[in-house]
Amino acid sequence: MELQEKLKILADSAKYDASCSSSGSNRKNKDGIGNAASSGICHSFASDGRCISLLKILLTNCCIYDCKYCLNRKSNNIKRAIFTPEEICTITLNFYRRNYIEGLFLSSGIIKSPDYTMELLIKTISLLRNKYKFNGYIHAKAIPGCNPKLLKQLGSLVDRLSANIELPTENGLKLLAPSKESKNISQIMEYVKNNQNKKYVPAGQSTQMIIGATKETDFEIMNQSSSLYDKYKLKRVFYSAYVPINKDNLLPSLEQPPLVRENRLYQADWLLRFYNFKVTDLLDSKNPNFNILLDPKTDWALRHLNEFPKEINTCSYYDLLKIPGIGVKSAKRIITSRKTFTIHIEDLKRMGVVLKRAKYFILCNGKYVTNKDNFKKEYIEKNIVLGDFSHIEQLRLF
Amino acid sequence: MKNVYIYENDFISLLNLIFYLLKNKLKPENIKNEFYTPSLFENNITLTITKNEKNIEWIIKNIGKYSMKSIYYVFLSEEENKELIIYYFLLNALKYRQKIMYHRNLKCVSEVLRISEYVIHESHKMKGFLRFKELEKNILYAEMEPTNDILYLISCHFNSRLKNELWIIKDNRRKIISIHDKKQFIIVKEKDFEISTQKESINEKNIENLWKTFYKTIGIKERKNDRCRMNFMPKKYWKYITEVKKEL
Repeated sequence: MELQEKLKILADSAKYDASCSSSGSNRKNKDGIGNAASSGICHSFASDGRCISLLKILLTNCCIYDCKYCLNRKSNNIKRAIFTPEEICTITLNFYRRNYIEGLFLSSGIIKSPDYTMELLIKTISLLRNKYKFNGYIHAKAIPGCNPKLLKQLGSLVDRLSANIELPTENGLKLLAPSKESKNISQIMEYVKNNQNKKYVPAGQSTQMIIGATKETDFEIMNQSSSLYDKYKLKRVFYSAYVPINKDNLLPSLEQPPLVRENRLYQADWLLRFYNFKVTDLLDSKNPNFNILLDPKTDWALRHLNEFPKEINTCSYYDLLKIPGIGVKSAKRIITSRKTFTIHIEDLKRMGVVLKRAKYFILCNGKYVTNKDNFKKEYIEKNIVLGDFSHIEQLRLF
Repeated sequence: MKNVYIYENDFISLLNLIFYLLKNKLKPENIKNEFYTPSLFENNITLTITKNEKNIEWIIKNIGKYSMKSIYYVFLSEEENKELIIYYFLLNALKYRQKIMYHRNLKCVSEVLRISEYVIHESHKMKGFLRFKELEKNILYAEMEPTNDILYLISCHFNSRLKNELWIIKDNRRKIISIHDKKQFIIVKEKDFEISTQKESINEKNIENLWKTFYKTIGIKERKNDRCRMNFMPKKYWKYITEVKKEL
């Protein structure tokens, strides 16, 4: 088989993995080729608008498992291919030299056994690191159920190691991926957490779950994420809207992948990690799913309108973060600026505050920015939703 | 008549000139580089100023390294009045010293922050979007047309990343080239340097095709989103991006 065709097959099977970040490592170029940029660098953007920073491929799409949702499951009749370690090195180095990519994302179907697959991954990556002196970013997938010794070896070669929990709950996993055991996945996470340092998985670990293939609510999903962040110190949880590839009675039949839902989950994920929100602030068992029309923060603010409007010049950092239209950057700017001058409404724009949203929720020097009579839930909600909607319509026109 | 002070087109000359203006309490109506053609109501003034490193050191000591970097980024921009913005920034920095950056309500400060962020942002994007081709003799060759003068900034990046490679990066907008010889890089004018070979290596088309295959394959059809792609990867860069230039 030609290299071109192999690449096509093994990139096609890898594309459903959402993770593409290349940040968090500052590996230096020790007289070879490449280094890691701690901010991460996007090199291109695919037709679906997702960033391409890593050469995302599988070592092989042969697999001994038959997970229902997966393109590469054993029972699917598709073309199979396997890369040799040298082939992967050639492609990676040639792409890297031309600045096409920031590094390699290597995952694999499970061939023979978890240990055998891990050994192949290790062989490939150590060739790249040691023979070719490649110091660019490498993200590898750990294979659940492998020997911890292999986790040790692989982790000391790569920048990021991850294991996908695949589905938000154990029940989902039992239903759709009966050969994968959730305890094997958590074992990997536990191991990486306990060993992580500058030389072992310096960019930390991440995971991904498929959204919409099983019946979990957003509340269950967010609770799972939150506990993963707490328990295993994950850098990121990725959410991947389910794309119906296989037909199966156990799978839902969707016309479109649930992209808006995926977006809401990412927004909420950010609120958990950087905005000091808790899952229970956003959702509860009576209200278990996000509002499709409003982002989670605006939705929260409208349900807690009694806490608003907040005075920009005096309220605390955490209160600033609760205001729709104010992000981490602009909140920090407000805090440092107001030590030296009183902030007026025209200063806010220059600080990156999205006034279109924020204006309903703030006071600036005691003054409400728009008409005080309109400080009502229905009015604000209507205006924000319509504002977003007309924005979307405008975009469509182009 | 409006007085326009003229500097040689480099950052050190500009700083020396501004230092001189501040010291002698001369208020410029404009500051422009040597290529500037004055209008009917303008009067170009070229002062003979001895460049002194001590002036620069004095400025750094007073405004801090962070502010110094920021005004350097402003200098690299194409902002129409960048010199005056830097002048007013330094004028105010003499009063507020290292705290100058907290004064976002001053126009010169918010402008310096806005423009420097823009330059850093473009430089960061170009670190990803730049595409090298392999020429004969293993030379890597790239062209670009960035809005701001970021050749030096991205050369520093590739200086460590591709330190064992021979590479050339050309800014087609400014007609300048950065050349790396495995030890260091220098930036010269296009007319002062002739590239001995422009012929692609035997392997080049092959690798380009592999990359285009990867690019086409990795996008998920069910999620196609051109608007989102364009937001992240503006069309103005496509001309030089191997995998999308055909789509233009």
